[in-house]
Amino acid sequence: MYDQLAGPVYGLIRKVVRDPAQSEEVTQEVLLEVWRTASRFDAARGSAATWVMTIAHRRAIDRVRSTTAAAEREHKTAQPLVLTDEVAETVAANMDAERVRRCLGGLTELQRESITLAYYGGYTYPQVAALLHAALGTVKTRIRDGLIRLRDCMGVS
Amino acid sequence: MRFLRHDLHTLTGAYVLDAVEPAEQARFEHHLRRCKPCGHEVRGLAETATGLAMAVAMEPPAQLKQRVLTAVSVTRQMPPAADRHHRSRLAFRQAWFPRLAVAVAVACLVVAVVLGALGLSARRELDRARAQNQAIAAVLAAPDARVVTQTSTVGGTATVVVSRAERKLIFTTAGLPRLPAAKVYELWLIGPPQIRKAGLVPAPSAGKTTPLLASGLVAGDKVGVTVEPAGGTSQPTATPILLMSLPA
Repeated sequence: MYDQLAGPVYGLIRKVVRDPAQSEEVTQEVLLEVWRTASRFDAARGSAATWVMTIAHRRAIDRVRSTTAAAEREHKTAQPLVLTDEVAETVAANMDAERVRRCLGGLTELQRESITLAYYGGYTYPQVAALLHAALGTVKTRIRDGLIRLRDCMGVS
Repeated sequence: MRFLRHDLHTLTGAYVLDAVEPAEQARFEHHLRRCKPCGHEVRGLAETATGLAMAVAMEPPAQLKQRVLTAVSVTRQMPPAADRHHRSRLAFRQAWFPRLAVAVAVACLVVAVVLGALGLSARRELDRARAQNQAIAAVLAAPDARVVTQTSTVGGTATVVVSRAERKLIFTTAGLPRLPAAKVYELWLIGPPQIRKAGLVPAPSAGKTTPLLASGLVAGDKVGVTVEPAGGTSQPTATPILLMSLPA
């Protein structure tokens, strides 16, 4: 279990939380939660990977939205995050990562920035709108139609 | 009203990215309970977000593994929720990342074995447990490993991880009724030519049984469980409480 889950979970948390020590802590919390609640996993509601990564993302978000961490992050994240070289250095620089990168490349700039800021940056969509100087409703719909385009590109049923 | 509904519906994207603020999130989740198409869309987009997550996978620091395994060994698992016996094979097959589905489904097995081993003091038993542990790990790691879950006729569920290539399976249960001391659950491999003993199901701890490894699987075998006198029998003497077909 550890070997299968740790890489994806740690990678996502590291991307959102950024600080290595805090990322390790959150990863441990997530893997423990997965272990503790494994019997509650319900395949009818989605894949196991999504179940795990949803827990991981929420925990990472909780961490960065807690006030102390937020203040410290402000100046670290002045630039919108985009998937560039960072993907190449990950262990999953495999077909999945390649496909995701290609699909992200097929989005409009606003779609891509809104999605990456929200998901990897951990910002709420009103915060994303403020960062991008875009209207709230526009960001909300760009996130949705961008994800729909990604879904179709990635072939998720 | 119509506008509001449409407005809420477009939140599906932001919602799966955890990018909705708490008050609005509560409203959306309320809406989600009644809106079937929204639920469908949320599930699809959540799988898409998982793709984004997988793309940034990264090797964690080496020391993390020991810390997690140590923490796991002192953390109790929650019992399965009632009314949730829908862990269908079909859904597992549809999983976007099936290997991970296997990993999660068997998370409890691996650790149960590790814990079982920790509880033993005698060196020889520890060695035996270690060999068993390795054999189980081989099944879990097999590229063709599949998971099947089924409810027994007396309640509780059985989960089987099977590898055709290894010709082995791992059998575990949760929530089977407790038996009197004179009785035992016995596992069988039921093939067209013959029925073979596959071991006695260990007594449960906290409702779950530690994994049982069965070898010598042949094509066409089904898995069966009967209630037998303590010590087991060489052929089943009762109607199976569970009869599972295995994935080809």
